[in-house]
Amino acid sequence: MIELSEVSYTYPHTVQEALHQLSLVLEKGRCIMVTGPSGAGKTTLCLAASGILAHEYGGKKAGVVTINGKNVADYPGLSAIAQTLGIVFDDAEAQMIFTTVEEEILSALEYRGLSPEEIEKRLSEILEVTYLTALKDRSPHHLSGGQKQRVALAATLALGNDVLILDEPTSELDEYATRQIVSILKNLKDQGKTLLIIEHKFGHFREIIDTLVIMEHGAISTIGAPDEVLKDNRIRKMVIPDFAGIRSGTAPAVPTGRTVSAIDIRHLSFSYGDVPALHEVNLIIGPGEFVAIVGENGSGKTTLIRQFNRLLTPTAGDVLVNGKNTRECTIAELARDVGLVFQNPDHMFFADTVKDEVAFGLKNLDIGNRDAVIDAALTEAGLLHAKDLYPRWLSRGERQRLAIACVVAMQPKIIVLDEPTTGLDGDEARLIMEILKKHQLRGNTVVVITHNREIARDCADRIIVMDQGHVLSDTRVRGVG
Amino acid sequence: MAEILQYVHKDGLFHRLTPFSKILLIIVVAVMCVLATGIPFLLLLVAALIVLACASNLHRELFGQLKLLLVMSVIFIVITVLTMPNGLAIGTVIPQGVPVIGGAIPVTAGAVMIGIVLALRFVVLIFAFQLFLISTQPRDLVHALDRLHMPVDYILMFIIALRFIPTLQIEGTRIHEAQLARGYNPGTGLLGKVRSVHPIVVPLVSNALLRSTVLGLTIDMRGYRTGTRTRVRERLLGTADYVTITGLFVVAAGFATVALVAPVLVF
Repeated sequence: MIELSEVSYTYPHTVQEALHQLSLVLEKGRCIMVTGPSGAGKTTLCLAASGILAHEYGGKKAGVVTINGKNVADYPGLSAIAQTLGIVFDDAEAQMIFTTVEEEILSALEYRGLSPEEIEKRLSEILEVTYLTALKDRSPHHLSGGQKQRVALAATLALGNDVLILDEPTSELDEYATRQIVSILKNLKDQGKTLLIIEHKFGHFREIIDTLVIMEHGAISTIGAPDEVLKDNRIRKMVIPDFAGIRSGTAPAVPTGRTVSAIDIRHLSFSYGDVPALHEVNLIIGPGEFVAIVGENGSGKTTLIRQFNRLLTPTAGDVLVNGKNTRECTIAELARDVGLVFQNPDHMFFADTVKDEVAFGLKNLDIGNRDAVIDAALTEAGLLHAKDLYPRWLSRGERQRLAIACVVAMQPKIIVLDEPTTGLDGDEARLIMEILKKHQLRGNTVVVITHNREIARDCADRIIVMDQGHVLSDTRVRGVG
Repeated sequence: MAEILQYVHKDGLFHRLTPFSKILLIIVVAVMCVLATGIPFLLLLVAALIVLACASNLHRELFGQLKLLLVMSVIFIVITVLTMPNGLAIGTVIPQGVPVIGGAIPVTAGAVMIGIVLALRFVVLIFAFQLFLISTQPRDLVHALDRLHMPVDYILMFIIALRFIPTLQIEGTRIHEAQLARGYNPGTGLLGKVRSVHPIVVPLVSNALLRSTVLGLTIDMRGYRTGTRTRVRERLLGTADYVTITGLFVVAAGFATVALVAPVLVF
């Protein structure tokens, strides 16, 4: 059991409290899901509850955290706490230490005082329940984001602890893989394990949650049984994304010929070395369309959009962007036509201020009237107040909006986004979609890769389903076009 | 993307050896290549390592680093020529015909020879370490270093350093692509590389620091530092190891004998 009593915490070199007089009891065998806006202190709560804040972090601390009745500060160190409690962090890649999946799990098992026979037995059980048996000889670095998340979970499960803290364990997973994780966690709960889960996918986790906690501004704003908590309409919108009304009733321009196509893909095939990723893809996306690309992890969605600005060049076939064959253009030239927002916004930020970060793309493309363009992009993203701040100080939701502002400011006719709502709550996800909708209403094309069914259903004019490198279906949403 | 210095899952001669035999091989090879100054002998060492790599089905991984080794070798030779003039001048960096500074910076035969020896030593050491690392799972390495009574924190530091190589490689590529997609065109060649430092290195270092924090916490929270480990699937010395160790002793003894009896062959 974990108990937090009046816990407050301020990170070093900051003035604002990340946690403010937070009290929470996690009883044995129960499952608590914590959700809320990015920057609300959810990850800090994980660090506090696991004793990591007490042992590894400086800053201002107040209050008491106990694990099984013992103050975390009284444990000799994290290794002692690790005998009772396991934690999976949100960055799966950072938790891959060894060179094969099996080695990753086996190494965790070796330190539990088990006999070699028990270790082998538990290893095969864990590989089986986490659906990793087929991947056991693969290098973790070469797995998809979702597979890495499963490996990180498996290595923590190997410890056999009774208490598990999971920080966004399904953020990069598709629907199917998320259901797999939920089923694993349900089994663990049935075995009497205690779970503290930070998540945004309430719908998937509903069946295993005993208590729903809403965190805002470093404190618990609402706590209780899920049905009770969701009676509040404001909270409901935060927990369950609501994209109703985002899709415009106006019909998007449907391409009438190849010359008007924003993106025209002809017989596209692509392989990574010997591994085929796309096969004979044919697709026309017209100007002004809002297209959602959906499909399971590894279905070729990201490989497809990386062809649009020639980060990848087709192995066979052609991709035409605004009539230009990408084979004949450089990436820098295509940046004027296609703006690509990557899944992780932190891959792009290097400037000292938000304003300079937006200005970088404008300088590269030699776009004039920069101050006005920057202010307009930041206003639309709701970040004008933060223009002089260091980009990495922003919350995840704000960083995602900044990444979009950086690309929108470059005024491309086509904007392509890879999972833009990962790790965001319902309100933040809606904000992102509203920004994209405005961009579409200015006559631009929007292409979004998403695992979120609601985004595809309620925002897009057209849904393209990909499966194993093929376009499985291409559907115009009813009532539009 | 080929990962530098990372374990490759294969079944070959080197994969079948225990880390002990491979550590011994590195020691013998390192001592010989540091002591020897004869270019033919160093070339022989390079050839021997290539033969070993081919016999172990690891030649593709070894040759993957040739471009880097070639660039580094040229840099070694250039630095030596510029900083250690020695012996007969065989030319000048600046042609005689150039006014005022013509004939400056002599290229001496001795400096070129020293440069080649340094470059060959570098190639031998890199080849030997690479063969060791790409054929040894980190877990086996942990076991071996643990048996050699190396403190667990040092072992973990070594493992983390190795583990960060592919992370930085992959992350660097992603960041580079993200900046290219923003219309960034730093140009090619050395100047382009220098220009791209700020937009790529800043996010790379920032992300790596965050990642190293999580990695450190993961190591603690998985209990790797508790020190009570069950030895499972530990690699024990087999026939191939005994043959290798015996062979290495023979080679070391042979080297010592030749160095004493016919030093001209190695020095």
